[in-house]
Amino acid sequence: MVSALEVDDTGLRVRGDGDFPIDVAFDGQRIFSFWLRRDTKPDKDWLSLRWPPPLRRFLNGSVQVSLVDPVSGTTWIETSARLGDGEGAVRVEDRQGNPMGLDKSLRLTRLFGDRDAEQMEPLLDAMETVLKGLEAAGVEPFIAYGTLLGAVRDQDFIGHDSDADLGYVSGFDHPTDVVLESFRLQRRLQEMGFRIERYSGIAFKVIVREADGSPRGLDVFGGFMRAGTLYLMGEVGHPFRPEWISPRTDVVLAGRTFPAPGQPEHLLEAMYGPSWKVPDPAYKFTTPASTQRRLDGWFRGMRVGLRNRWARSRVEGPRPAGAEEPSSFAQWVAHQEPEIGTAVDIGCGRGTDALWLAGRGVPVVGLDYFPPDLRHAAGRARRLKVPAEFEWASLTEYRSTLVTGAELSRRPGPRIVLSRHVFDATNHVGRENLLRLAKMISRDSGRLYLQVQTSATPHSRKLGVRAFALDQISQLVARTGGRVEQATRIRENDDGVAGAAAADRRPTIGRMVISWSR
Amino acid sequence: MEPVRRFLRNRKSLERRVRDLEDDIQESRQLNLRLAELCDVMMELLLPAAQRDEAEIAEILNRYRQDIGDPLSWRR
Repeated sequence: MVSALEVDDTGLRVRGDGDFPIDVAFDGQRIFSFWLRRDTKPDKDWLSLRWPPPLRRFLNGSVQVSLVDPVSGTTWIETSARLGDGEGAVRVEDRQGNPMGLDKSLRLTRLFGDRDAEQMEPLLDAMETVLKGLEAAGVEPFIAYGTLLGAVRDQDFIGHDSDADLGYVSGFDHPTDVVLESFRLQRRLQEMGFRIERYSGIAFKVIVREADGSPRGLDVFGGFMRAGTLYLMGEVGHPFRPEWISPRTDVVLAGRTFPAPGQPEHLLEAMYGPSWKVPDPAYKFTTPASTQRRLDGWFRGMRVGLRNRWARSRVEGPRPAGAEEPSSFAQWVAHQEPEIGTAVDIGCGRGTDALWLAGRGVPVVGLDYFPPDLRHAAGRARRLKVPAEFEWASLTEYRSTLVTGAELSRRPGPRIVLSRHVFDATNHVGRENLLRLAKMISRDSGRLYLQVQTSATPHSRKLGVRAFALDQISQLVARTGGRVEQATRIRENDDGVAGAAAADRRPTIGRMVISWSR
Repeated sequence: MEPVRRFLRNRKSLERRVRDLEDDIQESRQLNLRLAELCDVMMELLLPAAQRDEAEIAEILNRYRQDIGDPLSWRR
């Protein structure tokens, strides 16, 4: 029971006994959910909850806030409040005026509960198509996680959910074979015209367009059985019997029939614990550390640094197109290498250096794994009509590194590789693959020009790059059979870092020239 | 005092060994993904490359690159 509620610009203050999930509704529309004790902080005789950050921009105007029992739908308590400057009414909706809310991970999104049956049809169609595709590709897919929970509990989608989850349990019992099977599945689905975004060795998102053009992702989670345990990406490691999965059964979801695991209640218990039958819109997975470690070790690690990259792009913010001057690093490379057959910029970002080189007539390939920057760079190359190509490549994926190296090693020489603050931004696999890729491209043809942070500074910390001693890098290079031709250190000021103190004479950045021969 | 000291020392060394073992196991788990990626390259690229002509190799390389990653679709 909840006995008192206060609302202001900072958040909610609640009184009540026990710990249980609570829906927060604005003018009758569910916005988000929380647990009375788990998610609040004691504040004198109140329990205090700050507004979730994604909501803050909407909190301006008058609003009727109610706390609702997610199981029965009963309103426990409500109060009206004026937030921000208090003008108008608080509306949590997207630009088109569609209501939005927070899912269990507090992501702001259009929730299923705010959509009518007709709006769900394209998703149901897409689920059927992807399920058919997976089936044709040789696995036995079923609906999983929240989608399965909704189907078994209410024969419908869960209102506070926002995506459809599919899963399958591989016939293989070795992680390597399970990953290889997932690679094959991705290819088959792409041949069918789906766009795929891979998250890990056995999980990917299938992106489908709905009738109104908005993209919607279907997560496909792979799993496998090993020694009496089911592992299913991304949260399950549970003692399991094969017959609880196969042969599959049918369940009804929003009026249509979908495949489910043979005895779905066992999988639901593995996913949501023994209380899966009771709705909990603020559910948090309590996956044991050992399961997390296993799934991490076997399958994860392909998207290292992407989150940091998003954060960095937010810190740097949008820049006016005219302000993109080449780095002093690119100018130094151009000065050192008057004849370049092909330049490859590993970690090209928004393509500023690559486009500058291309503008001087050098054929350039810019590589990066951050989609917004690549899109920006490719757009500018088209407008400027310069010989620059921009390609997706990921240093934390061996396949990408190997095939990119194989392709670029066939380009005209001398082939010069540039890489500015990538070595210090990626992880050990990325560093190893950066040298591997540079070697494949430049061996017996050209050189690698590398710029790295050698001492931490406020600027490097803001960018999230680590510092490396040049000796440390030389040792790694020696292990790959490479030779360090030059190693110098410069000051941030010389590299054009905005705001670097001109008086700071300490060199904090290293530059190296590396070559490989057979 | 000596047995207590020995007990504490052994416990510390056991804790360290468990931590090292966990790191070692994790490291070998990570070989699964690496091995799968290498097998994929082998089966999808090297075998066809050994059997086909230059133009087809370029086409296979290009298709493979697009298939493995490219979450962008900015090209499509």
